[in-house]
Amino acid sequence: MATLLTRGAYALPGTSLNFKTGTWRSEKPQHKHWAAPCHSACPAGEDAQAWLAKVQEHKPREAWEALTRVNPMPAVTGRVCPHPCESACNRGQYDESITIHGVERWLGDQAIANRWTYPEAPKGAGGRIAVVGAGPAGLSAAYHLRRRGFEVTLFDAMPEAGGLLRSAIPLTRLPRDVLDAEIARIMGLGIDFQPRHALGRDLRLDDLRSSYRAVFLGIGAGKSREWSVDGAVPGDYADGLHLLKEWIAVGGIPMPKAVAIHGGGNTAVDLARVWKRAGVAEVHVITASALPGPGADPSDVLNVVPRELKEAIEEGIVFHEHRTIQRLLMRGSKVVGLEMVRLRKLPDGKGRMARVAFEGTETVLHVDMVVPAIGEVVEPTGIESLMHGANYFRADAFGRLKDAEGVLVGGDSRGDRGTVSAAIGDGRKAAEAIDAMLSGRDAVEERRDVVTFDKLNLHYFERSRRVALSELPVEKRTDVDEIEGGYSPAEASREADRCLSCGNCLACDNCWTLCPDSAVLKMKEIASDGSHYRFDYDYCKGCGVCAVECPCGFIEMVADD
Amino acid sequence: MNKIEPAAPEAPPQELSPRDRQPRWRGLEAGHRACQGCGEALAARLVLEAAGPDVVVTNATGCLEVFTTPWPQSAWRVPWLHSLFENSAAIASGVEAAMKAKGQRTKVIAMGGDGGTFDIGFQALSGMLERMHNVLYVCYDNEAYMNTGIQRSGSTPHAAMTTTSPPGKERMGKRHMKKDLLSIIAAHHVPYAASTSVSFPADLRRKVRRALDIEGPTFLLVHSPCPLGWGHDASRSIEIGRLAVECGLFPVVELERGELGGVMPIREPRPVTEYLKLQNRFRHLFADDHRAREEREHLQALADHNIDKYHLRGDGADPLDTAGIDTVRRGGPLR
Ligand SMILES: Cc1cc2nc3c(=O)[nH]c(=O)nc-3n(C[C@H](O)[C@H](O)[C@H](O)COP(=O)(O)OP(=O)(O)OC[C@H]3O[C@@H](n4cnc5c(N)ncnc54)[C@H](O)[C@@H]3O)c2cc1C
Ligand SMILES: Cc1ncc(C[n+]2csc(CCOP(=O)(O)OP(=O)(O)O)c2C)c(N)n1
Ligand code: SF4
Ligand code: SF4
Ligand code: SF4
Ligand code: SF4
Repeated sequence: MATLLTRGAYALPGTSLNFKTGTWRSEKPQHKHWAAPCHSACPAGEDAQAWLAKVQEHKPREAWEALTRVNPMPAVTGRVCPHPCESACNRGQYDESITIHGVERWLGDQAIANRWTYPEAPKGAGGRIAVVGAGPAGLSAAYHLRRRGFEVTLFDAMPEAGGLLRSAIPLTRLPRDVLDAEIARIMGLGIDFQPRHALGRDLRLDDLRSSYRAVFLGIGAGKSREWSVDGAVPGDYADGLHLLKEWIAVGGIPMPKAVAIHGGGNTAVDLARVWKRAGVAEVHVITASALPGPGADPSDVLNVVPRELKEAIEEGIVFHEHRTIQRLLMRGSKVVGLEMVRLRKLPDGKGRMARVAFEGTETVLHVDMVVPAIGEVVEPTGIESLMHGANYFRADAFGRLKDAEGVLVGGDSRGDRGTVSAAIGDGRKAAEAIDAMLSGRDAVEERRDVVTFDKLNLHYFERSRRVALSELPVEKRTDVDEIEGGYSPAEASREADRCLSCGNCLACDNCWTLCPDSAVLKMKEIASDGSHYRFDYDYCKGCGVCAVECPCGFIEMVADD
Repeated sequence: MNKIEPAAPEAPPQELSPRDRQPRWRGLEAGHRACQGCGEALAARLVLEAAGPDVVVTNATGCLEVFTTPWPQSAWRVPWLHSLFENSAAIASGVEAAMKAKGQRTKVIAMGGDGGTFDIGFQALSGMLERMHNVLYVCYDNEAYMNTGIQRSGSTPHAAMTTTSPPGKERMGKRHMKKDLLSIIAAHHVPYAASTSVSFPADLRRKVRRALDIEGPTFLLVHSPCPLGWGHDASRSIEIGRLAVECGLFPVVELERGELGGVMPIREPRPVTEYLKLQNRFRHLFADDHRAREEREHLQALADHNIDKYHLRGDGADPLDTAGIDTVRRGGPLR
C-alpha cells in the first residue's frame, strides 16, 4: 500500500524520544573530580574543598570527621600552619582567598569544646609498631596506624608528647590546653605512650626492629649546627632555639640592650618577639631571605607564617633582608657590633645556587649580643647506621629508607620539611606504607589533576571579602595570651560559604537547567563521581554548554567516537 | 486515502526511568533535532517548564516548529498546533476564543521566531493584541531567518552578517537598525510586554509566570543565541547571550501598559567588543578597515543608548542584577 501524505498530520506526545540524538556527538561531557589547589598544596594532605563543603551544608561534625581522617590536629594547624593552601586557593585570583586556617581552627575548637571523639579503632589486628618521637610526625603516624588497627607503642625522650609544639612554639601562638586536648584525643585511641625513653640511650634500634613489625622515626632535628663568623664565636654564645626553649620552660632569658638574630625561620622570628616583649630595645633579624611583598619570589621568602611576620614588624622588630653577617666586632670575647653585607642566592653556572655577597655594601650594626637561629640537624646517636654521616635522613615519598626495610622516617628529620603540617603528612604516608608493606600491596597516595582558575565559571559567584579574624592590638599583647582570635559559628559558616568548590559538583543545577537537549538527569543517588547528576548519552549532542556553565569545572568534554 | 498512523511511543518500561522521575514538568522532550547548543530549543523548554501542563501552544513555521516535529514524531507533551509561517497569533486567537466558549481556563501560548514575529507574522500579532485576546505570545529572537539558511530579518542587529546582508565594498553587514519591536507591541496598550534572555533562566521563568497570570494579551521577547546563524562555538551559547545583556545591546526590560516597569540592572557593563568578537557574524568588524572601527563604535553607541534610555546601570550590587541573579545556590539532590 502506498503511503500518502496529507496536509494535516499529528504525532503522539514525546515520541521524539524514539530518535537518539546522541549519535550526532563527537565529544561527550563527563564529570571529573579534580583536586582543588588547596588540596594539592596542603602538606598534610587535607582536602579543604571536601570539608568546607560539609561546613556549607551546616554539618560541622562531618566536616571535622573528613578533616581528621587526614589531620588529627586541626586546632593546632589552624593556629600555626603557614597555610600554603591559602596561597594556592583559586579564590585568591578572583578577590581574596578562603581563610582556610580560620575555618580549620574553628572546627578543631568545636571538637574540643564539644568533646567529639574518633570512631573506635579496631583492636590490634595488624600487629605491633614502634613509633619514636612524639612530635607532630610521630603523633600523626601513631594516630593513623592506630586507626588502621595496629597496636602502637610511642616513645619519646621527653616527659610529655608534643615535640617542638610543646617545647618551642610560644604560647601566644599555640595555647597549651589546645595542644593537650588534641594529643589526649589521639592517645585516647589506645596508644601505649612511653615517655622518657630515648633512642640511643634507653632504646636500641636493633631491639625495636626485632620486637616490632615496623619502626617509624619522627625524631625531629635536635642537634644545633656549628656556628661562627669566620672562626669567631662570642664569649656568651647561645643557640637561638635553646634560648627560646629555656624561656618557654623556665621563663628566663638574657637581657642585652641590642641583639641581632641570624636566621630567617620560625625560631628567629619567635625569639625576636619574645625579646622585644621582654623589653630589649633593639631586636634585629638578619636573613638571607627576602621579606614577602609584591614581586618577591616565593622560594626566596622567609619561611614563616605570613601573619607572624606582619605582627613582628608591627611590634618593632627590624628585619634586614638579603643580608648576612660578615664579621663580628669584638672587644675581647664580648660582641660590640657586627658587619653585615648584602647577598643573594644566585645560580653558580653549574646548575646549583650559591650565595654571593656584594662587595661595597657592608654596614655596621651596634649590638651587644648575636645569636644564631639557623636550623638544626638530626642527632645521630644510636642511629648512625641509618644516617651514613648525613645531616638528615634520605627517604622516598612515603618515608621508607632504602637500606633498612621496615624503618620509616618523617617530619623535620628529613631536612626539607620544616612545618607541622608536613610532619603530619609524613606520619600519614608512613602509616599507609607500613600497612601496605605488611599486607603485601603497593602503597598508594591519592593523586588527582589540579583544577586551575581558568576552568571555573566565575559568573556564578559574586565577589566577597574574606571574613576577618580578630587580633590583639600590639599594646595588649602579653607572653601568654593568644594573639589571633577565632571565628564565631556564624563567621566560620560565612567564610566557608565563600569556597568555590573547585573541581567538585556543588549541586547548583546549572547543567540540569541549561542543557538544550534535556540530557542531564538529576538523581536521588550519588554516583561514584560524587555527583547527583547523570548524563543521558542517548540524547546528549555534545554541545559543551554544560561544561562551560558549570561553575566548578566539574564537567569536562572528551573525544567520543 | 490511506490513513497514516504516527509512531507510537516505545512500550512504557515497567519501572519509572530516571527521565520520568525528573522533578520538573517536561513540556518539550529530548530527541528534538535542533543544532548542538541551540538557544531556541532551551528557551522553549524553559518557557514550558514555567508554564506547566495546562497550556495549548501554537507555533509559526521556523526552526522550533521544524526541529520539534519531524513527523511522525513530536517533542511536545502539550497540545500543539502549527499552520503557517505568518499566522501563529491568528491561530492562538482562535484557540483562545474556543477555550472561552467552552469555559475552559487552559492558557494559550503563541510562539514564533523573530522572522515570524517582527516581519511576516506581524499583522496577525498586531490584530491579536488589538483584539485583546488572552494569549501569551513568545518570540524566540535569534535575530535572523535561521531555518531557511540565515537571511536578515527586521530583528537582525545593525552591522551583522547574514546571507542577505553580506559585508563587502558597499556595506559592513546589515545596513538598518534592529527593529524596536517591544515599543511597537507596547503601543498597542497591552498590559505586559517584556524582554528576557535564555541566558538568565530565573528571569525568564519569572516573566513567563507573570505574563500568564495577567488577563489579556502579553508578549515576551526571548533572546536566543543560534550557534549556526551567529557563528559561535556551540558551547558558548549561554555565555554569548549573557554578554549581549551585560554590554547593553539586548536590554532586559518590562513594559506595563507601555510604561517602563522593571529592568535587569547591569552590574558591570562590558564593552560590546567582548560580545561581538565571539561571533562570526561580526567578524568583519575586526578587519583592518576604518569602517570596521566605525561600526564597532556605532554598536557601542547603540548599547550606551540602551543603557541610558532604560536606566540599565545599577547603583551598587543588587541580588537581581546581571551578576546577582545567577549566583549559585545549592540545588541539591532529589528528595
Ligand atoms: C620556634 C619554632 C617555631 C615554629 N613555628 C612553626 C609554625 O608556626 N608553623 C609550623 O608549621 N611549624 C613551625 N615550626 C616547625 C615545627 O615545629 C616542626 O616542623 C615540627 O614540629 C616537626 O615535627 P617533628 O615531629 O618532625 O619533630 P619535633 O616536633 O621536633 O618532634 C620530635 C620529637 O622526637 C623526640 N625525640 C628526638 N630524638 C629522640 C630520641 N632519640 N628518642 C626518643 N625521642 C626523641 C623529641 O623529644 C620530640 O618530642 C616551628 C619550629 C620552631 C623551632
Ligand atoms: C509565507 C512563507 N514564507 C516563507 C517561508 C519559508 N520559511 C520557513 S521557515 C522560515 C524562516 C523562519 O525564520 P524565523 O521566524 O526567524 O524563525 P527561526 O527559524 O529563525 O527560528 C522561512 C523564511 C514559509 N514557510 N512561509
Ligand atoms: S575556593 Fe575553595 S576549593 Fe577552591 S582552592 Fe579555595 S578553598 Fe579550595
Ligand atoms: S549541555 Fe547537554 S547536550 Fe550539551 S554537552 Fe552537556 S549534556 Fe550534552
Ligand atoms: S553545573 Fe552545577 S550541578 Fe552541574 S556538575 Fe557543575 S556544579 Fe554540579
Ligand atoms: S539554526 Fe539556530 S535556531 Fe535553528 S536549530 Fe540551529 S541553532 Fe537552533
